[in-house]
Amino acid sequence: MASSIGSTFAGAAPSCARFKHHLHQPSRISAAHAAAGRTSTSTSHIAPQTSLYEVLGIPMGATCQEIKVAYRRLARVLHPDVASSHNTTRGSQDTSAAADEFMRVHKAYTTLSDPEKRADYDRTLFRLRRPAYVLSATNRGSGYYARRTWETDQCW
Amino acid sequence: MAAEPAYTVASDSETTGEEKSSSPLSEISIGIDIGTSQCSIAVWNGSQVEVLKNTRNQKLMRSYVTFKSDFPSGGVSNQLAHEYDMLTGATIFNMKRLIGRLDTDSVVHASKNLPFLVQTLNIGVRPFIAALVNNMWRSTTPEEVLAIFLIELRAMAEVQLKRPVRNVVLTIPVSFSRFQLSRIERACAMAGLHVLRLMPEPTAVALLYAQQQQQAVHENMGSGSEKNALIFNMGAGYCDVAVTATAGGVSQIKALAGFTLGGEDMLQNIMHHLLPEMDNLFSSHGIEEIRKIGLLRVATQDAIHKLSFQPSVQINVDLGNGIQICKVLDRNEFEAVNQKVFEKCASLIGQCLREAKVEVEDVNDVILVGGCSYIPKIKSILTSVCKRGELYAEMNPLEAAVCGAALEGAVASGINDPFGSLDLLTIQATPLNIGIRADGNSFVPIVQRNTTMPARRELIFTTVHDNQTEALIIVYEGDETVEETNHLLGYFKITGIPPAPKGIPEINVCMDIDASNVLRVFAGVIMPGAQHPAAPFMEVRMPTVDDGHGWCAEALHRTYGSTLDLITVQKKVQK
Repeated sequence: MASSIGSTFAGAAPSCARFKHHLHQPSRISAAHAAAGRTSTSTSHIAPQTSLYEVLGIPMGATCQEIKVAYRRLARVLHPDVASSHNTTRGSQDTSAAADEFMRVHKAYTTLSDPEKRADYDRTLFRLRRPAYVLSATNRGSGYYARRTWETDQCW
Repeated sequence: MAAEPAYTVASDSETTGEEKSSSPLSEISIGIDIGTSQCSIAVWNGSQVEVLKNTRNQKLMRSYVTFKSDFPSGGVSNQLAHEYDMLTGATIFNMKRLIGRLDTDSVVHASKNLPFLVQTLNIGVRPFIAALVNNMWRSTTPEEVLAIFLIELRAMAEVQLKRPVRNVVLTIPVSFSRFQLSRIERACAMAGLHVLRLMPEPTAVALLYAQQQQQAVHENMGSGSEKNALIFNMGAGYCDVAVTATAGGVSQIKALAGFTLGGEDMLQNIMHHLLPEMDNLFSSHGIEEIRKIGLLRVATQDAIHKLSFQPSVQINVDLGNGIQICKVLDRNEFEAVNQKVFEKCASLIGQCLREAKVEVEDVNDVILVGGCSYIPKIKSILTSVCKRGELYAEMNPLEAAVCGAALEGAVASGINDPFGSLDLLTIQATPLNIGIRADGNSFVPIVQRNTTMPARRELIFTTVHDNQTEALIIVYEGDETVEETNHLLGYFKITGIPPAPKGIPEINVCMDIDASNVLRVFAGVIMPGAQHPAAPFMEVRMPTVDDGHGWCAEALHRTYGSTLDLITVQKKVQK
């Protein structure tokens, strides 16, 4: 859902083409990431299936400690500072792709590490899984919902 | 961003180290801590961080530049015969308190009783500063003074490391605005240095702490579980606090707080306490006045230093013309005169803990660094606010920040250490809110302070007038609710809004901060139901303002008033 912002802008303006571009880049980390990256741009029906738990690569019953450990493990690989130094070409495209992946992981972490937000999210997740509610990037309304969720998910 | 540019412009605002992709990995990066009063430089030597010494075997060098008839010289190479030599009018110091500030700033006004010339017109432009050379005031700028000093540091590092030095990580105060950061970058560019990162001082200390914890885990096979640390850093010019959560070499900054407050303020308070009519006596800034202010300054500074190690101190200074100060100053009096300073320190710590959502009981280590860490009252504030008997003792308080900066330099240039000493990462947070003017004269934050970086946030705004075709986006940074008291970063117009009743067009403002802290603002208008924007979106790298920006804000208000206003679209889904 974080990346729906990127997609809004990608559709919106040629000058923001970099947003669109790196969303299509396959993730270096896990299937879950790659899925998250692609789904939010076009094939929207799959979007609800990439849960925040999948983003962090943890089971739904994970403890707070497990969430923190998973977040750190991913940060060590995905954070642009690390990602750029592991890649000798160090293109700026890679850096911004890494930034997107890191932001997605961080958003999952902030939601799941806060008990209240996690409970809220778990309820939404249950609702989202029902077929009636489909996030579709083809109409403006969906981006709207995605944004709202994303907005309210900020937690500082 | 897309492709590597075929050319580079040695630049106006583009002086950050963001497009660093082309620099070869082997290039060395150094860490520099430019303090208000002292400065140091450190480098990763392949196995550990080494603080470099100048030819006089000093690790800490005074931050100043003396102007002479031929060429200026700074505290790196120069040796003062006596402290008073620094106070003859020819020497500019405290650059860090002056850089990027306007002449309406109270910090600039307080700098007027430094022993060189600081002139203000109080209209929101850069203050005029000058050094006395051959009985003439020769003008300079804080950027120029800093650049001269940085050139000396660079030369010193190059001689010792026997290789060219270009990449630097500099530590900066938490409270610096992005405009001030751009001035630091400008000074670095003038000195031929490439800024890899500008690192808030306590986050550099946090990185050093992360490395120490990591090593402790390796050595003792300890638990390696998460540790919270509170870092309090107070130097001559600035006070900074950070709360960090550390595990496995990853230091995650949870909250930052900072203020322009330091040893300089205590010094000024005591000087005013000793000589209440000081400002009047010295306002003319003649050669004789400068000499007197210098005498008083040195005597007071000396007394304050002594008070850190003894309960009271005798001050004797003869300023001529019958002005003689003979006084015993004890710690109680010192603390009473500086009560407000100490209260502010305590409140910054409280604020930082609250915003980090960390209870004081959950703080594992309390780290005190910086030049003011020897002041007993500062120690006692930390132990009492943080409710503990002991402070973290594994760091040299005067070298921690520069060592952290050198570590970051090594990490950011992709150096690998076979023993894992560089398997480190700092996850930074934004120290100040960033937002735009909307809803009348309000500041509407889009990126809240203490947001983890990299970050991207957006908000939707709409028009306030029917058929409004343009909107003015004025970007500010700061903690205040009234937009005028924040720092102006830049402004631009969104044009081509299709005619529509007020409240219908969606004006999307998105802020993107990348890992190296570059801020870009994207904005454009989308009509409901439309798939494409009505006009191309704008991408603006901030800050765009120049020195006269105090004028800008006022002129914008006068010229445009409320005609190009925006209001926030209320969130419909509110949890």
